[in-house]
Amino acid sequence: MKFRTCVSTLALTAGLTLGAAQASEWTLEKAAAPYAGTTVDVVFLLRPGYEAAEAMLPEFEAQTGIKVNIVKHPYENALGQQVRDFVANGDFDIALIDLVWIGNFAENDWIVPVSKFTSNPDLADPELDMDDFFPLVLNAFGGWNGEIYGLPFDNYSGLLFYNSCMLEEAGFDGPPETWAELKDVYGPALTKDGKYAFALQSKRNETQSADSFARMLWPFGGSFLDENFRSNLLSEESQAGLKFRQDLMQYMPEGIVSYDHAEAVNAFAQGDVAMITEWSAFYSSLKNPETSKVVDCMKIAPEPKGPAGRKPALGGFSLAVASQADENEQAAAWLFIQWVTSKANAREYLERGGVPARQSVYEMDGVAEAYDFVPALVESWQDGVPEFRPRFAEWPEITEIVQEWGTKMMLGEVTTEEGAKILGERMEAVLEEAGYYSGDKPLAQ
Amino acid sequence: MAVKTPRGTIFGFLAPAVITLAVVGIVPLLYAFYTSLHFFNLTKLKNVRFIWFENYASVLTDPVFWEAMGRTFAMLLIALPLQIAIGLGIALILHAPGLGFLRLLTRLSLVLPMATTYAVVGLLGQVMFNLKFGVVNQLIGFLGIAPVNWIGDPFNAFAMIIFWDVWQWTPFVALVLLAGLTTVPSEVEEAAHLETKSWWTVLRHVQLPFLMPGLVAVLILRTADTLKLFDMVFTLTRGGPGSSTELISLMIQRVGFRAFDQGVASAQAIILLIITIILAQFYIKAFYKEV
Repeated sequence: MKFRTCVSTLALTAGLTLGAAQASEWTLEKAAAPYAGTTVDVVFLLRPGYEAAEAMLPEFEAQTGIKVNIVKHPYENALGQQVRDFVANGDFDIALIDLVWIGNFAENDWIVPVSKFTSNPDLADPELDMDDFFPLVLNAFGGWNGEIYGLPFDNYSGLLFYNSCMLEEAGFDGPPETWAELKDVYGPALTKDGKYAFALQSKRNETQSADSFARMLWPFGGSFLDENFRSNLLSEESQAGLKFRQDLMQYMPEGIVSYDHAEAVNAFAQGDVAMITEWSAFYSSLKNPETSKVVDCMKIAPEPKGPAGRKPALGGFSLAVASQADENEQAAAWLFIQWVTSKANAREYLERGGVPARQSVYEMDGVAEAYDFVPALVESWQDGVPEFRPRFAEWPEITEIVQEWGTKMMLGEVTTEEGAKILGERMEAVLEEAGYYSGDKPLAQ
Repeated sequence: MAVKTPRGTIFGFLAPAVITLAVVGIVPLLYAFYTSLHFFNLTKLKNVRFIWFENYASVLTDPVFWEAMGRTFAMLLIALPLQIAIGLGIALILHAPGLGFLRLLTRLSLVLPMATTYAVVGLLGQVMFNLKFGVVNQLIGFLGIAPVNWIGDPFNAFAMIIFWDVWQWTPFVALVLLAGLTTVPSEVEEAAHLETKSWWTVLRHVQLPFLMPGLVAVLILRTADTLKLFDMVFTLTRGGPGSSTELISLMIQRVGFRAFDQGVASAQAIILLIITIILAQFYIKAFYKEV
């Protein structure tokens, strides 16, 4: 017995020592040595977080000899470009995945679970520390069906950006706490002389679904689907949210249905709109005096609460290794993903305009003071709803329906009830065809 | 006695054109037809299956498809007559004697809109008609008119795409009709002018018969172009606000490349092709006569 205990202790000690030795020995240069000269192809968006990563890239390439070939696309083209590439067994070695694409990519086996690499000591950085990612963000952006595929890269939470100068001038010493307050108190006081209290970007694309429609469902207790995957849009709570949006439009600029992120951010940056609810990713452009006139007046708060709580918009992207890449490319791709999302690089990424999903970086000295969006962001990532938009493979079809009928509601072409009824029927038809009601597919979103 | 050309020579000369046409035009068309008979979603390739004409049935019973089709024909019925009327006016002015250098300059400048890429026209529209920063609102502001929401209002947005289509393609109509006017024998035209002072009579009975071949070409080309109009509208309004500028080609693109339903999108495209062919046949039968 004594002997067995002794052997076990020795084995454990040896294992820990070996592990520690391996950990201390692991370097990016060594890990990448077999893959020097490999090129990996990835889609990047035309957004600040990607510019930040691109600026950091020379360091990675110098250390590893791996070339990262960036193909830039606007958001609207990114999904189509990647789907066509994966269907045709094309060139992309890394998938850039919006959280609502993850089910689609995973179910089509276009991406590889991270466990393939984290279980390989030659490739897994001992400092990877998956627990350091905000759990909500890691699971929502990179996880599907209990498996992690991607690491959070370009991370957003909806925040309330407000012009404190305009608010003070109107007699407010802080931002609204609730959506009702925003509409009933701040709305009338701030909408005058060609200026507007609020702008809710609602263009008919993913912006309509994510930034406008879903944003008004959740805080009011609504949702797209009930627990049986039937439409929940005619529920009292969903209708309350959608009607609220209609009422709120009187305090928004004319033609808000043609506002995308650029227009909403620009209206705020020019001082024409007092408040916007936008992704954290736009912080750097609004803080830049070259693109914003309101740098000194801009302040940030979490999104207002509704009757059901805060439930802020959740969005963002993960990077995952593409299964179509060969083994060398997969390894090189993983090393890049691991590096760009690492704890060690999180601060630099943040300083260059990105928004990392590492908890540790927001605890570092000076970060919360230097980046005033941090407290609101961290709070939002505690309250977020992973299924803010369903993440299943059918979302690309459903979002088109939401975009169409959500816009018709806003334009007053249909009532919220009429729109929700048709939208619900069409949404259920897509889900029926997919096999959710026959039990062919699990009710996962 | 005529020498008979060997069959091989005939085929040799014809083959490159026929093969090119087949590869570029017919093979994709056949593939689209094949796709239209399948459940074929790019994100669900594991479920591809033959479903006969189900896609056609769903397209033909889809009110959204017919709304988009209605919008496309509304655009055609408004834009095409405007283009023909303004184009004919320009052609008649340029055909009048004594314009000299001005005529040359006008002819050259007429080419510019046509030479502008569709997508650039759309981007121009976005910049010029921007509610806040657009030059158009600034200009009407000088006249004391309040800024107009061109892009964000459904009616205005539709009017705007018609405006840009007329701006871009009226010169084409003008140049085709001007070419037609130059085919009128000068002695016939002079004699007609001696007979009557009415320009309408001359136009109706002397010039119009010579314009008909060009006019039929314009009708066919502009109809086909309008039915497949995509780039300008996509860059300008992306089909919005709402569905107000979602023409049939934008809808097909949306279904095929944003919802990835290639089967339904192919069925829509085939139906559009059939409608275009029927219209072209109608134009030829109704209007075309040899002079």
